[in-house]
Amino acid sequence: MFADLTTSIVDALGEVTYILPEIILMIAVLIAPLLYMFNKTGKAVAAVSLVLVIVSALVTFIFLDAGLEGEAFGIFQFDAFSGLMMLLFLAVAALTILISPGHVETTKHKGEYYMLLCGAVAGMMFVASASNLIAIFVGVELVSIFSYALVSLKKNDPRAAEASVKYLIIGGFSSALTLYGMSMIYGTTGSLDLYGADGIISAVQVMSGNWAFVIGCVGLIAGYGFKIAAVPFHAWAPDVYEGASTPVSGFLAVASKKMGFVVLFKIFVVMFVAAKTGVFAESFQYVFAIIAAITMTVGNVVAISQSNIKRMLAYSSIAQAGYILIALAVMSQYAVMGGLFHMFTHVVMKGGAFIIVAALISAGLGETMDDYRGLAKRAPFIAAAMMIFLFSLAGIPPLAGFTSKFILFSGAIVDPATGAVTMQWIWLAFIAVLNSAISLYYYARVVKAMYIEKGKSEEPVKVGKAFLVAIVLCLVGVIVLGVYPTPLLELCEVAADALFALV
Amino acid sequence: MIDIAFFLVFAAVLFVIGMYGLLTSKKGLVTLMCIELMLNAANINFITFASFSGGTAGQVFVIMTIAVAAAEVAVGIALMLNAYKTKGTTEVDKLTSMRW
Repeated sequence: MFADLTTSIVDALGEVTYILPEIILMIAVLIAPLLYMFNKTGKAVAAVSLVLVIVSALVTFIFLDAGLEGEAFGIFQFDAFSGLMMLLFLAVAALTILISPGHVETTKHKGEYYMLLCGAVAGMMFVASASNLIAIFVGVELVSIFSYALVSLKKNDPRAAEASVKYLIIGGFSSALTLYGMSMIYGTTGSLDLYGADGIISAVQVMSGNWAFVIGCVGLIAGYGFKIAAVPFHAWAPDVYEGASTPVSGFLAVASKKMGFVVLFKIFVVMFVAAKTGVFAESFQYVFAIIAAITMTVGNVVAISQSNIKRMLAYSSIAQAGYILIALAVMSQYAVMGGLFHMFTHVVMKGGAFIIVAALISAGLGETMDDYRGLAKRAPFIAAAMMIFLFSLAGIPPLAGFTSKFILFSGAIVDPATGAVTMQWIWLAFIAVLNSAISLYYYARVVKAMYIEKGKSEEPVKVGKAFLVAIVLCLVGVIVLGVYPTPLLELCEVAADALFALV
Repeated sequence: MIDIAFFLVFAAVLFVIGMYGLLTSKKGLVTLMCIELMLNAANINFITFASFSGGTAGQVFVIMTIAVAAAEVAVGIALMLNAYKTKGTTEVDKLTSMRW
């Protein structure tokens, strides 16, 4: 449909085309502080950054639709996989910017806030299109450094300062581990490019007994394990999500975590599918499988005892990361498609839940379970929406969470190439299903508090318009993706194909 | 010519010292310095590999890392100041209002 348009853009801009969506966001980063000088309410800054995010998403969509593929400056590469991931990050950014101006916790430093937000998203998009270890490292650091500052930007709450220091120390530790791992991989393979004839993946085949290469891989897994908050690298996540202002914690939970997965997909899936040397790749598959099993179990079990809703959602998003890790353990095309699809459904359901928490904080409610008692009487629509998001997270049909979990878990059991059932990962699917059952307990606890228990006050809760728009958008996403997932699934399939075509 | 193992062992020792300091130190600023030590250990690795293999990519990476580390320290110190202003301390043992 947009093929002609795309060709003319490529003709006009050349190599720059392949990083055009990022450049549009960088424009937002540059003009946000400037605009704030002239408009101190911050409304103009929010509007302009929202418009630029939407323009960038449109450009990405046009490129994706036209099937654009190409390399920029030798370190960035636009293809179906990176385009789809950019759309995910931009969708989260749009939702976050939409709810930020009306939120009470949003800092008075509006210019810096939107600059940091857009910058973090631009960093994620650079990571999504990176094809070189330097680009990946710098992109991830761009996101990390911007999000440390974002976490600390909150009105009147000492918890934010504490959370940002914790995030900084853990984040710095993880980037040091990553860098050491990258240095080992560079030393053993002699290259920083991931793909191509003289890239890392072409050298992987001979690495099976090389301990230095294994140290490199372990460093990368640990470093990016911190980013996706996989157990045992998860301790920072609940503190940071609780301490940060709610739009920011939603942003970190759904976008920043996905960036870690994008990196793991880009490096490990491609590398180990390319390696194909039985024992070596398989032992790393087991590493991912064990991390996945522990992550979802710890996330779900600890979430049961939480009384703060934000903290509970943080642990539940640790558990969701465990589910997505199944795709990395199985490493089949079908499972990766399921993982990508689950990332999208996770955006609408977890994002929606965080938006509701933000809306209720703005309406004067607290963030503990007690404050949610009797909410169904005070705000019937909000309570119903929260129930749908939570049930979707638990995986109840016909909502989005059920569909994506179904595809993801069946990817662990069915071998897509032959259609035959494989026994190798069946235990992992079993643990995942058990975990979904456990998770229903603490999600249902919130629903019980909202619908059955009696609250202290009966007075109706007023929620701002921007929040309502964002909640309705997420609701539509949750229901449509649950009932009619085909269009997005096809996009995910094309993206998974593009990822495996890099081998 | 000095054997490559000396450089790598030196970097590994530096990395472990940094990690030990990070895990045991109570002072916020010392943990920042320890992160710097770990990053520099990785940098030494990069330079070593680059100079022994004759490539330049590793040295380019080091320049990038130095810039990134500088940005991280700048933001880090600002956050530590912010914590000192609101909580009255930068000792990581005392920043414990949120747990479990």
